[in-house]
Amino acid sequence: MAHRTSIKTLLAATALVTSASVAVAQDKPASLDVGVFTFMSGPAAAYGMPGRQGAEVVIDMINAAGGIDGVPISATFVDEGQGAEGVISEYRRLAEEPETDFMIAALSSGNCLALAPIADQMEMPTVGWNCDSHQLFADAEHPYFFRPNGNTIAEFMAYVIYFLDNNPDVERVAIINPDYSFGHDAAEIVKASLAAFKPEVEIVAELFPKLGSSTYQTEVSRLSAARPDVIFSNLWGGDLENFVRQAAPRGLFRQSQAVFALGESSMNNVDMPEGVIVGVLGDGWWRSPDAAELGAPEFAEAYQTKFEKAPVFPAMKMANAFMVMKAGYEKAIEANGGAWPTDEQLTAAMEGMTIDTLTGSMTFRADNDGIVDQVVGMVGSVEGIEGPVLTNMVRYDGDAVLPPEGEDPMAWIASLTPDFIAAMPKPGSYE
Amino acid sequence: MLQSIIPLAVDALANAALIFFVAVGLTLVFSVLRILNVAHGSFYSIGAYVAASVGLWIVGAGLPDWLTFPALLLSAAFVAALFGPIVEKTLVSWTYGKSEAVQVLVTFGLFLILEDLQRIVFGIQSVYQDTPMTMLGISEIGGIVYLNYQLLLIGLAGVVLVALRLFITRSRTGRLLAAVVADREVSEALGIDTQRMFMIAFTLGVFLAAIGGAMATPTTGVAPGLGADTMVLAFAVAAIGGLGQVEGAAIASIIVATAKVLAIYFAPSLDAVAPYLVMLAVLLVKPYGLFGSGSTRKI
Repeated sequence: MAHRTSIKTLLAATALVTSASVAVAQDKPASLDVGVFTFMSGPAAAYGMPGRQGAEVVIDMINAAGGIDGVPISATFVDEGQGAEGVISEYRRLAEEPETDFMIAALSSGNCLALAPIADQMEMPTVGWNCDSHQLFADAEHPYFFRPNGNTIAEFMAYVIYFLDNNPDVERVAIINPDYSFGHDAAEIVKASLAAFKPEVEIVAELFPKLGSSTYQTEVSRLSAARPDVIFSNLWGGDLENFVRQAAPRGLFRQSQAVFALGESSMNNVDMPEGVIVGVLGDGWWRSPDAAELGAPEFAEAYQTKFEKAPVFPAMKMANAFMVMKAGYEKAIEANGGAWPTDEQLTAAMEGMTIDTLTGSMTFRADNDGIVDQVVGMVGSVEGIEGPVLTNMVRYDGDAVLPPEGEDPMAWIASLTPDFIAAMPKPGSYE
Repeated sequence: MLQSIIPLAVDALANAALIFFVAVGLTLVFSVLRILNVAHGSFYSIGAYVAASVGLWIVGAGLPDWLTFPALLLSAAFVAALFGPIVEKTLVSWTYGKSEAVQVLVTFGLFLILEDLQRIVFGIQSVYQDTPMTMLGISEIGGIVYLNYQLLLIGLAGVVLVALRLFITRSRTGRLLAAVVADREVSEALGIDTQRMFMIAFTLGVFLAAIGGAMATPTTGVAPGLGADTMVLAFAVAAIGGLGQVEGAAIASIIVATAKVLAIYFAPSLDAVAPYLVMLAVLLVKPYGLFGSGSTRKI
């Protein structure tokens, strides 16, 4: 009897040891299957398709260099244009397939807010390649969801700092943002920043046209009538392009200094006047001095060869998301003694990770939110370069413009003073 | 005071013009065929795609820029000739006499097919051609700079309204259409070829939608989804004016556009819902729209 019991114990112990050894020596897959979510239809495709194209180029580059520890990347693209319900069901379907290893999702902040808890629930390692709502990590921990971007606080505050430095006499500001959380959040951040840095500034118009609007003529009239010194907007994709097409010939940008937070992504598609303040929601300007040292020109050349146009910042953000995934796997493999990591080992390796992306340095904080610098500039031209480029640039340190972890972001902005701007680098300091 | 009212009026009329083209086609088709054509917005976007593509070809081929103006009209005529008779004779005619639910489902199915067809033919990236707009230049009205092209749209909408009224009241085909609208059975008994009238009315409706889309392209990039957005607004206009009412569509277009413009100027948070709040208010008081009637119909 005692003998039978000891055999049972031995078998149980063997099973336990076997399962444990499975956990630390995951079989290396034949390919690393990644679900990639972006907008490939509708007006948002003007922003989302460069993301997809960036993914295709960076996958080709990684695979050509031997993949990740010899494993080639294979992507399944999912269109976010189908709406949130479709995106969620596609994410679940892909995550349930045993061959899916990783997700890069998504573009829309709304979709990221919906997918982050699902990633945790399904224990699927996921990188949000574009979503930047500061609400993502505000009230919840997401151990399986990582965002290698700055969030909306850093992004939009950077523009306020820039235009207050560039237009020190500004008294009247107008805002025109898309009518959903991204637009409303940005408006609140801009207003809070102005209240902290220059409280005498008056908001003379605050417009929120429907996302996907095709005509902005009335909004242009309204903005013209308000006579603002500065017009801030985080319209994007086809919306931004239509707004610029309708506002530029009506002289709006001669009357007011325009600030387009996502302007770089559209400046090759639409005739954006020189002097308009634009940026890249992070550091993803591939021609920046830092990017030139980090492999962005090689990526841009491959992109240009494949798609016959230069990459824009959504392509860089997507490429950087893949670089983060690659670095995460490599770090986890090294920590695992060269063996392919489990999902738990992968996410553990990514926590607090610092890497060089194609455009700068990125560090994950303890809450999995990324710290990246903010590059802002003006539409301009440079001899020898075809098409518009960013000029009069500044690079704000990511740490400096990101609220401390765990602190209420709006309260943090309210605690700042004009001295905060005085300590910041000035437009033109990063060329 | 006048200085601030004039821009409001210009904006309202310019908005109304774009909405009117689509709404009047929708209401015309309903009045003659008694079908609410959910696919009507797709003809708007196809008209826009064709006009933008033809305009790009004209400019790319080095032809005179002024050709882009007739190209807008000819593109709409091409779309109407291509889709009008075929769609009416196949899908739409099949729904005659069937329940409204079947008609809506069939035209909704057609809408989905046409939306995918546009993606296949024109791709998913925005298409844009602005030569007509840039050729016409700008004007300052009430201290605000407007595109002369916007003013052209207002004038064209007025021309279309008058032309439609003259066509219906003065031309033989128009009077036959009016007869079919007044009493289909009696018209058939009198020897009017109602099937032909249906085809003419449907094709005319497609043309009006397509000209609306074509005229929008010089200021707006065309991308998938444009038709659906336009269609929803056209439904609101048709409901406010009363389905089947040409002048009703014109006045309702101005009401909807004015509501939208006032919202943008004075209550921006109501911008998106303003047209539908007006529709709700009108339908609560006049369930058949401002000019509609539950018992009699006119065109």
